[in-house]
Amino acid sequence: MLPAANNPVWMQIATGKRPVRTEKLAINLFAKNMAMSLARDSSPANVQQLAARTYEFFLKYEKIFASEFDKILA
Amino acid sequence: MLTTANSELLSIPEVQSAIAAGESLFLAGSREALSQLPQGNWIGGTIPYFMADEGGLMSEDRIFVTKIPDFALEVKAADYGPENLADLYREAPANGFTFLVLPASTVVHKTFAEQAPSYDGFLFRPVLGWVTGVRVDRIGKEAPAVFNGKTGRAFDARGAALHVTLPANKAVDLEIVNIFESGGGKLIRFQEAGFRVSRCFIDGKPENLAAYITSKRIPLEFPLVGEYNGSAINVSFQSVDATAGTVDLYAPVFPDVDYHFAKPVEDYAGAFGNAIPAEEVRPAFACNCILNYLYGKLEGKTTGRVTGPITFGEIAHLLLNQTMVQLYFRDIE
Repeated sequence: MLPAANNPVWMQIATGKRPVRTEKLAINLFAKNMAMSLARDSSPANVQQLAARTYEFFLKYEKIFASEFDKILA
Repeated sequence: MLTTANSELLSIPEVQSAIAAGESLFLAGSREALSQLPQGNWIGGTIPYFMADEGGLMSEDRIFVTKIPDFALEVKAADYGPENLADLYREAPANGFTFLVLPASTVVHKTFAEQAPSYDGFLFRPVLGWVTGVRVDRIGKEAPAVFNGKTGRAFDARGAALHVTLPANKAVDLEIVNIFESGGGKLIRFQEAGFRVSRCFIDGKPENLAAYITSKRIPLEFPLVGEYNGSAINVSFQSVDATAGTVDLYAPVFPDVDYHFAKPVEDYAGAFGNAIPAEEVRPAFACNCILNYLYGKLEGKTTGRVTGPITFGEIAHLLLNQTMVQLYFRDIE
């Protein structure tokens, strides 16, 4: 079960404060894409958007990447 | 649970029969071979190089066939130009994936390479496939193409896609096998994205990449390796023009990515064999890069038990170089 959409963990992941480094291509590309977006635009609005996007990504792949997500969210 | 492979090299009559029987197919073959196929629920791309069970080979009268599994709910063929490539993601299924083939060195190929990470749906709508090509002795004389089997049309400047909707209890797992890793050494960064580069920063110092490669005699066989949170993403060298001070690449570099020159690999077949466990279930689809085939002298050699087309670029969410792409289907609760 994922944390709620408004849980601060999503912002931590989106901003790189909670590290993401896995064996799964999609997860790693997602984390890198977030970091690149943040490097271009670190405004609070973009950070909020990235956090929401992170929650959506985890929701989408919750079952397929369950063990990887457990490690990230631990 | 992973399902077993459903991809093989077939004769033209065998593929004609499969299409007539209503199978949905993802195809790779020469233009001559694909042009002989009837309309049906298939897309294809031109390439005459394959990794077969017996090893790497070139064939202009056989077609590599990936059959879409029977558990797919819907399979829809479409084609896209650079002007509406973003529609690929809007039209992709919510649960499923999209096979995509793009003709090499076209605007649609380059648009996908540069823009895919910015499209709404990137990573949320899995896209995999490859860049189509021709016999290497016909590069510049013959155009790579893609085929939309549904309409019966072939395109030199558009991409063809097959959107596959899966039931809720199935998901795709896109994996890559990259035998290259960072060689360590100098850190290379770019300020601008693109397939052609001149300026860069090497260990923080502004340099001209072409001049650096020439002066240090960096071998062009081995790619730049970009670091993506633990995934190694290659950018292969096409050519260096020391006079003009430019380097042409087979994929774009991006700002804010750390690149290093790759550690050299001597035995490509061995490296792929080591990277792919023998007991592992074969992927439902795989492809590998023509540069690996040529530099690694893979004709007659195998790469583990993985077979598939040998392509002018690979796609697993984004454009890749010198990488094996694998598609697996997984059961989910």
